[in-house]
Amino acid sequence: MSHDNSIETFADQVKAIPGGENLEICYSCGTCVSKCMIQQKLEPDFNPRRLLRMVMMDMREEAFESPTTWYCSQCDLCYSACPQEIHISAVIAAVKQLAVEAGYSTPLSTVTVDETLCAGCGICVMACPYEATHLIQKEVAGVMDLFSEVDENRCMGCGICVAACPLGAISREGVSNEEINKQIKVKNQKFAPSLVIFICDWCLRENDDLSILESYPANVRVIHIPCSGRIDPQMALLALRSGIDGILVCGCKPGECHYQHGTDITTCKINLLDTMIDQIKLKDHHVKFVQIGTQERGRIRQEIDNMLETLTARKESH
Amino acid sequence: MPAKPKFAFYWAASCGGCEITITELGMRLVDFSEKVDIVFWPAAMDYKYEDVHSMKDKEIDFTFFNGAIRNSENEEMAHLLRKKSKILIAFGSCSHMGGIPGLANMFDIESICERVFDTAPSLDKSKGTRPVIKSKMPEGDICLPELYNQVKTLAQVTDVDYFMPGCPPVVDQVWKVFNAALEGKLPPKGSVIGVNPKTVCDVCTRKKVEPGFKIKEFHRPHEVELDPDLCFLAQGVICCGPVTRAGCGIPCLKGNMPCRGCYGPAEGIEDQGAKLASAIAAIIDTDDVEALQQTLASIVDPAGTFYRFSLADSIISQIKYKKGT
Repeated sequence: MSHDNSIETFADQVKAIPGGENLEICYSCGTCVSKCMIQQKLEPDFNPRRLLRMVMMDMREEAFESPTTWYCSQCDLCYSACPQEIHISAVIAAVKQLAVEAGYSTPLSTVTVDETLCAGCGICVMACPYEATHLIQKEVAGVMDLFSEVDENRCMGCGICVAACPLGAISREGVSNEEINKQIKVKNQKFAPSLVIFICDWCLRENDDLSILESYPANVRVIHIPCSGRIDPQMALLALRSGIDGILVCGCKPGECHYQHGTDITTCKINLLDTMIDQIKLKDHHVKFVQIGTQERGRIRQEIDNMLETLTARKESH
Repeated sequence: MPAKPKFAFYWAASCGGCEITITELGMRLVDFSEKVDIVFWPAAMDYKYEDVHSMKDKEIDFTFFNGAIRNSENEEMAHLLRKKSKILIAFGSCSHMGGIPGLANMFDIESICERVFDTAPSLDKSKGTRPVIKSKMPEGDICLPELYNQVKTLAQVTDVDYFMPGCPPVVDQVWKVFNAALEGKLPPKGSVIGVNPKTVCDVCTRKKVEPGFKIKEFHRPHEVELDPDLCFLAQGVICCGPVTRAGCGIPCLKGNMPCRGCYGPAEGIEDQGAKLASAIAAIIDTDDVEALQQTLASIVDPAGTFYRFSLADSIISQIKYKKGT
């Protein structure tokens, strides 16, 4: 059977996009799948190995519809594990690019811009790990001005821009400022210290660890956020002002962040907040950021217990 | 408003810049002085506190009160002018948010006195001097106002009708507010007046940054040659524009200096410093985790920079004094 070289296969198209060229050296060992947090925590059908096979087998529509194409946040946990050193997220990104060109769009919950609030400062443009936001000149309510615009097919919904936006002009359903602030309420008890835990959706690998979070009484409030980069120092201060004794922010270990830079951005935020708290000589404050690695099972309990112990000791000394 | 409303202008803990902004009205000042009856203005005219005491309650139609509340005299005058005025306007950053004097909330009063009287370089070698509220002299007792441990905003000691930010408020905004007050066209009580919507960034015409840009090192404005057409943040210089209310007419930016935040937090922001920290942290280059601490260390004096004018009014200050530390 003769092969017609003039017809460009799906694999050819993927390979033509920078990042997609390593497609063919994949021998489908599946190590990437074992490393992937999405496959474990969010979407059992997420499977980079299978997606790469789909591309090679010219299964275009199936690949475009596969959650793997859309859910990959380029955390690159699989990259360092791949024996063939394939930059898998880059191959997936190439597939996604073709899917977008073919008219498919992301199934993820993404951020939206409220133009009545947006001042066009460009902070979100610099903050987004995926370059999903950009500024455009457009007319809103009869005025020509700069506004932020989101490319929803690039947006992974991490909420880093939501925290960075000074005016609350960018938001995402479920993690808006109002929705999070509403949760920061802990009934203040006389003896038990109150603790608010902001936990990123990805740093706890095992279900055992997640159930630990539910084992604490009402003085410990757990707020789930997509990425530790979603918190902003004003949130922490509002919590402290409302009488909450301590704040524990949990994120991923550097290099393991599901949204590339979220955990590092949080390091910067907490560092700046700590410095300011020190400068202002705010005593007895308790804001702590812990970075939990994918291998550190059970660490969350240890961190919460330590924090509660410190807060209890402080409360008793007063 | 009566045909010729009575006007007062008082200064508490302030530098005098707010008074100067009034003189910047130029020829409009003549017009103004014909329209209002100036009943109290210590910086410009000879009035005594007794004159205010002898007024009836609510006799003054509107009072501009500039300066923070630093000592017992400031507070006493705030209460007195509140009692005697129909409309009390917190005029300028110090009265609105504590301003530069509010930065003293980073310290307690004893450590400030220690610095001023003991450790600051001085030809006077005497140590241990401290202000005394009451001193006995042959002629009788001499009294000084009591210096407070906390710098407060006007609204933290009395009921305020309007807030007019700025260090100082720019003259065109002052003129607009004057006229609005004279015409009885002020917005609902509690409003921030003499301002524009959104933030300084909204009106800034500098070229904004491109996607993917991150800051590797921060510089203070005097350390680098600044491009007059490019966003300061894109040059690694901290600018308070993203969190600061618009309305100043951006004189600092036009003078190639970053926004220092004197117009206070924009609508929707409660803590100017914390929100700026949130924005700045998100634009730091984090590719090299090792270098991160160095980048953060290049931000000199974060509290003083992010809260330059709003510390006394910030959530962080509220937490500190609520706890009584």
